[in-house]
Amino acid sequence: MLETSQIRVLILGAGKGGQALLELFASAPAVEVVGVVDINPDAPGMLLARNLGIATATEPLSLIRTIRPDLIVDVTGDAVMAGHIARHKPPGTEVLGGTSALLVWKLAQYERELRHQLIQVEKLATIGTLASGIAHEINNPLYAITGLSEHLIDETRPEIIREYILEIIQSGRRIASIVQDLNAYTRRSNLETICDLDLSQMIEEAVKMARRASVLDEVHVKSRFLETAPVRANPDELLQVFVNLVTNAVQAMNGKGLLTVSTSQSNGTIRATIQDSGPGIDPSLLGKIFDPFFTTKDPGKGTGLGLHIVRDIVTRYGGKVTVESVPGQGSSFTVNLPAAR
Amino acid sequence: MPWGLHTKDTPGMGRILVVDDEVSVRKVVRLTLMKAGYDVIDADDGSTGISMIGSDDNPLMLDVIVCDIRMPKINGLEAITFFRQQYSSVPIIVLTGYPDASMAADLLNKGVYDYLVKPVDKDKLLASVSGAMERRMALTDDH
Repeated sequence: MLETSQIRVLILGAGKGGQALLELFASAPAVEVVGVVDINPDAPGMLLARNLGIATATEPLSLIRTIRPDLIVDVTGDAVMAGHIARHKPPGTEVLGGTSALLVWKLAQYERELRHQLIQVEKLATIGTLASGIAHEINNPLYAITGLSEHLIDETRPEIIREYILEIIQSGRRIASIVQDLNAYTRRSNLETICDLDLSQMIEEAVKMARRASVLDEVHVKSRFLETAPVRANPDELLQVFVNLVTNAVQAMNGKGLLTVSTSQSNGTIRATIQDSGPGIDPSLLGKIFDPFFTTKDPGKGTGLGLHIVRDIVTRYGGKVTVESVPGQGSSFTVNLPAAR
Repeated sequence: MPWGLHTKDTPGMGRILVVDDEVSVRKVVRLTLMKAGYDVIDADDGSTGISMIGSDDNPLMLDVIVCDIRMPKINGLEAITFFRQQYSSVPIIVLTGYPDASMAADLLNKGVYDYLVKPVDKDKLLASVSGAMERRMALTDDH
């Protein structure tokens, strides 16, 4: 029976270990996390569970009896608790505890670290694909600096000297601001930070990144944003989601066309849409685009991890990403995330 | 004397059209070329560049074009194709922020005279323009 249906799991203990388990299970299709229990209602795993719409409790037995999970994964390390659960659990429920639970817990933490590294690597790969655009953005003001400096060498008129120097300073500041934005995007931040974010603002940031890489020169951007679109997530992960979607959209249009970005809200869900006017996606490929290492781009132009990571991040926050595409008319990616309360 | 057709009526070393959307880049190129004795006209994008030439009484009053690639409206690649078709005897120098070897090879194959990457130093730009001017005269002599 367990081979064909989802395993309904309750996680006991929602510290860092429980949180890592929850993240792993939430992105695994074969597992459904039906409850999370911790004595501390503000434990990191409890916060994430509430974000994902999973039942939480500070006392295990009543929840266990109500939802009757297939499996309890006990990562509390508390022998008294283990005995208590063993005596009172429903007959059909198995318990994974002690060293076995510790092993799973360790593997989940290892997987979490790998996932964070993958996001970082993909971020740098994105910068790689944008590199020539970034070079262009920097080389223009750099040319103003070197060119005007060459003319300053034999310039004697004070007003002209002043004019050139002011332009040189301005160009230097422009380069500094580009470098600062890139640095903010690539830095390895603390992925433990989960906070209230405005989805519209994240999309605007992503569009700004694309502009920095000057890939938007010939793209008209149309935006329609909610005044506030609050969601709870890690800011860097969410920015990565939209940088990937915006970059993909612009690349799909070959740098020329209409990019429509919007946010809307309904029934406790915030929806973000990134739409391009490109050639659309071949219907036979639609089912594969979220698969890891699937890419239609030329070698060296994409890792094939972008959309996979988009889906991984969105799913972990209890959201969903969908795509609609009409050949010849473009594609539209929609990200649904639970609205922050 | 190193001049093109237009210089029969205009004194100087030749006339150059500079197309770039960055005002500071246009300024540096203009300063460099004017100080070297060239007559310079400039445009902030490909379509303005094209209409400037087209609106002139004599479409051949131009010796060399210095053109960026990435610009709004009509981009440099489209503008270059147009210039090559309409003014095949006017050499084009691409001046771009993209250090892209394959694009450079592609453009040189399409008949672009030179591919320079910003920031280019003064002497290199002037050497390229001077070479393009010689090419321009050679092409004009053939006609």
